[in-house]
Amino acid sequence: MEEALLLWSLLAIPALAGAGSAALRPQKAMLAALIAGVGAWSAAAALACVLVFGRGPAETAFGWLRLDALSAYHLAVMALICFLSTCYAWPYFGEELRRGRLSSRQAGKFCLLWGGSISAMTLVLVSNNLGIMWVGVEATTLLTAFLICLHRSKPSLEATWKYILICSVGVGFAFMGTLLLAVSAKGVRTDPTDALLWTNLVAEAGKLDPIWVKAAFVFLLVGYGTKAGLAPMHNWLPDAHSQAPAPVSAVFSGFMLNAALYCVMRHVPVIEAAPGCEGFATGLLKVFGIFSILVAAAFIVFQRDLKRLLAYHSVEHIGIISLGLSLGGAGAFAALFHTLNHSLCKTLSFFAAGRLGQIFGTHDMEAMRGALKVSPLWGTGIFAGVLALIGVAPFALFMSEFQLVKAAADGGSAVSIILFLVGGSVVFLAALGHAIPLAWGDGGGREKQKAGAMELALVSLPLALLLVLGLWMPESLEAAITGAVGVLTGAGGAAGPPVWGAGG
Amino acid sequence: MPVFIEMLMIVLILLDVVLLGVSRLGAFVRAVAVQGVVLGALTLVANSGNLTLRIAALAAVSMAVKGFLFPVMLERAMRGAGVRREIEPFVSFVTSMAACIVMLGVSLFLGWRLPLPDGGAGMPLVVPAAILTMLTGLFILVTRKKAVTQVVGYLTFENGIYAFGVVAVGEVNAIIEFGVLLDVFVAVFAMGIAIYQINREFDHIDTDHLSMLKG
Amino acid sequence: MEFAQTINIIAGLILAPLLSGVINRVKALFAGRTGQPLLQPYFDVWKLLRKGAVYSSTTTWVFKAGPVVGLASALAALCLVPAGGAGGFFSFEGDIFLLAGLLALMRFFTVSAALDTGSAFEGMGASREVQFSALAEPALLLGLAAAARKTGSVSLAGILGALPQMNPADAAPVFALISVAVYLVFLCENARIPVDDPNTHLELTMIHEVMVLDHSGPDFAFITYGAALKMWVLGSLLAGLAAPLRTGFLWADVAAAAAVVFGLAAVTGVVESTMARLKMVRVPHLLMGALVLSAVAYMIMLR
Repeated sequence: MEEALLLWSLLAIPALAGAGSAALRPQKAMLAALIAGVGAWSAAAALACVLVFGRGPAETAFGWLRLDALSAYHLAVMALICFLSTCYAWPYFGEELRRGRLSSRQAGKFCLLWGGSISAMTLVLVSNNLGIMWVGVEATTLLTAFLICLHRSKPSLEATWKYILICSVGVGFAFMGTLLLAVSAKGVRTDPTDALLWTNLVAEAGKLDPIWVKAAFVFLLVGYGTKAGLAPMHNWLPDAHSQAPAPVSAVFSGFMLNAALYCVMRHVPVIEAAPGCEGFATGLLKVFGIFSILVAAAFIVFQRDLKRLLAYHSVEHIGIISLGLSLGGAGAFAALFHTLNHSLCKTLSFFAAGRLGQIFGTHDMEAMRGALKVSPLWGTGIFAGVLALIGVAPFALFMSEFQLVKAAADGGSAVSIILFLVGGSVVFLAALGHAIPLAWGDGGGREKQKAGAMELALVSLPLALLLVLGLWMPESLEAAITGAVGVLTGAGGAAGPPVWGAGG
Repeated sequence: MPVFIEMLMIVLILLDVVLLGVSRLGAFVRAVAVQGVVLGALTLVANSGNLTLRIAALAAVSMAVKGFLFPVMLERAMRGAGVRREIEPFVSFVTSMAACIVMLGVSLFLGWRLPLPDGGAGMPLVVPAAILTMLTGLFILVTRKKAVTQVVGYLTFENGIYAFGVVAVGEVNAIIEFGVLLDVFVAVFAMGIAIYQINREFDHIDTDHLSMLKG
Repeated sequence: MEFAQTINIIAGLILAPLLSGVINRVKALFAGRTGQPLLQPYFDVWKLLRKGAVYSSTTTWVFKAGPVVGLASALAALCLVPAGGAGGFFSFEGDIFLLAGLLALMRFFTVSAALDTGSAFEGMGASREVQFSALAEPALLLGLAAAARKTGSVSLAGILGALPQMNPADAAPVFALISVAVYLVFLCENARIPVDDPNTHLELTMIHEVMVLDHSGPDFAFITYGAALKMWVLGSLLAGLAAPLRTGFLWADVAAAAAVVFGLAAVTGVVESTMARLKMVRVPHLLMGALVLSAVAYMIMLR
């Protein structure tokens, strides 16, 4: 009973919080209510994760909603990111309110869509039914689309249009992939209500038709990969992330891309276990991953806009995660660890980019100089963020990338290592080349900005986590990631620990 | 019964040809609406062996939404934007028709490689027609400039996927089907709003000129 | 069955000009007029035959050869097409290509005669004619190829003979597509709306009429009669593809085939009355559509 309540409340709380806060009047009150609501949801999510890691997967609604180690891990990351981003909305929109640029209508729209998006992303994570998972991803696309053009302007509308169209077509591809997977399972199960349940597919993966399974995975990878930002389907990413308000960009890069990649991860054990398809999924993931890293590296060299730079970093890191997923158990461990690190780091970077953009009035890096002088807190934030993103020790991203290279070396894939290191080096040099003048330099005679307590917390918490994780991996985290990797490599599912609360 | 499905598939292919060949926006939108109605009929025919109230309701709702609601929404978006009622493609119509033949060839090839399991013996045109409709949708998305035509391209793409799903997969759970339909509806609705806002900001809906964000 | 085959030729020779009479009558009916007499085309040909011809000094033998070759190829094509249950007068494997070739020969000499006059109007009409036929001919050939593949025979007699025995559910989709494609080619080859307006007086808008502007007397009679024969040939082909009726009695079948051809003429009259002529740039799109229909008909049979 409790797990049903927990799972349903995870879905319902954000939507209700969004609707409720949109109904209030002064914008500050709306934001406060939203923070409270998302905080409550994060607490529930944390509770759910702790229970799942301790006791095993949670199921309800006849097995349609299920939280296992992989989804619980992602849910934990999501809770952290979304809560931080919602808190960040307070100083960010506070500044906009001070300048009179946020009407109550826009604030209401923000609250409503924000709550709805979080609910939709939760639906993606907790559904066991692959069709409902798809519905959640499409809902995410549609709800977040109008967050991009919160402030209506020509570039933001252009970004919104590209986002809606490219992601809808991509998600359409993913739906075709889901249908192809259902066709491959046609001979196995006659009851259509169970046909798309992940647990059933994983259990009977050995009986699926290989041609259809392979065709399905191609469509699924291209489709969900569009939403995740894998090259060459990433074209919407720089525009959407650069035009959206900073909290929205933070959630996009910090979690939404991961949610889409999670959908791909869900399908990998099914594909890999199908007869004759060994290595098919991982091979494709490797190709797309390396391609994303190289494409992102090429574009980072020429960037002028700070948020677009960070967006291309997202493409690169999603590529790194895909590459890790393709390298077997140790690589998958590194990839999932990287998910957490990248989300934290990207969120911090977008926080800093957003506030610095407000301070300087532009996101053009040529015009933003001397951030450390103008705002020590956010200047530190952006510089540390970029350093972490390019993989400087002792930040956690260095650790996860190192683990990835080690997994690749153990697996003997020399080409992947070489290409990854080439891409990584180009990104290292280019990003430093952008970041150093950004942090040091003149400051343009602007006055020093004071930072509030919340802003201090918003910078120090992610930084501290990144530093700590770079030096020491807590046992609970290691156990959690190992459990998630177990689901990925097929050790979970039917043969896993007894399902907790099934049929509830 | 497979005969009727084959005939509906041929009608679907012909509608794809029409979509690639018409030059007037009104006929264009009407063609994709007719496609939606044909797919509703396909739902009924494909499940004629075990027709339940739920399937009939799904068919009726999808026919109403795709055949009536979407054209109305698109018409409203077009009227609000005051567009010129002609499709302005990047590639000429003759090239589009030639591309149609090439895409049909590709679809037939893919159809051979993906034979439908057991019940698909008498219906060799299902997979090719569905793939052709998807390819037509993508082609329209890429080669037509107006935002409204891109929405129609998206609808055609979704129609192809739906055609495949209805015949090849048969009965997927009703919640999923209604969820999918709702998603497509909201997507078109969102696109309509976006077109309206784009027109207000830019004074046109020519996506060729939406090229400020580069690199 | 020599007698049966000659019936077709005799019927074609006698009844061909009546087709344009029927079309004109239907158009008049739509317009609320009484219109020309049904036999007007016969009177026109007879009148022209008794006139003298005028030849420009800039023309050569090509100008004189054009109408003659045109009529000859139309007569040869008439000998190829079967109607009713009877095969064509000449029938052999691959005669579908000869049919298309004869139509092409007729077109080639008409165009050459037009260019031979050295006049701008005829040259303009010739260029339009050739452009449209560049698209119409593949549509016709691909449609016939699809029909050949479906029925398993490469001769017209074989195709039209095997058609009534085929299973309707199996053959109907393919032949429906082929019929529509061949009908569009019919409209193009016979200079009907929506491709060309036969009643226009403005040379700049003409295609076929302007090519033969300078012919007079018996030459023009040959051209008119040859065009009527071409319409009969394509009409019989279309009647055989679209409406294969077979009762087993020879006279009934031939009469039925002729009736279908006249029905086709009536339909053309309706089309002419209800549609406007297409913009010149849109005609290639229409013909490309015909080509695509033939291609679809052919490709859906590939297994």
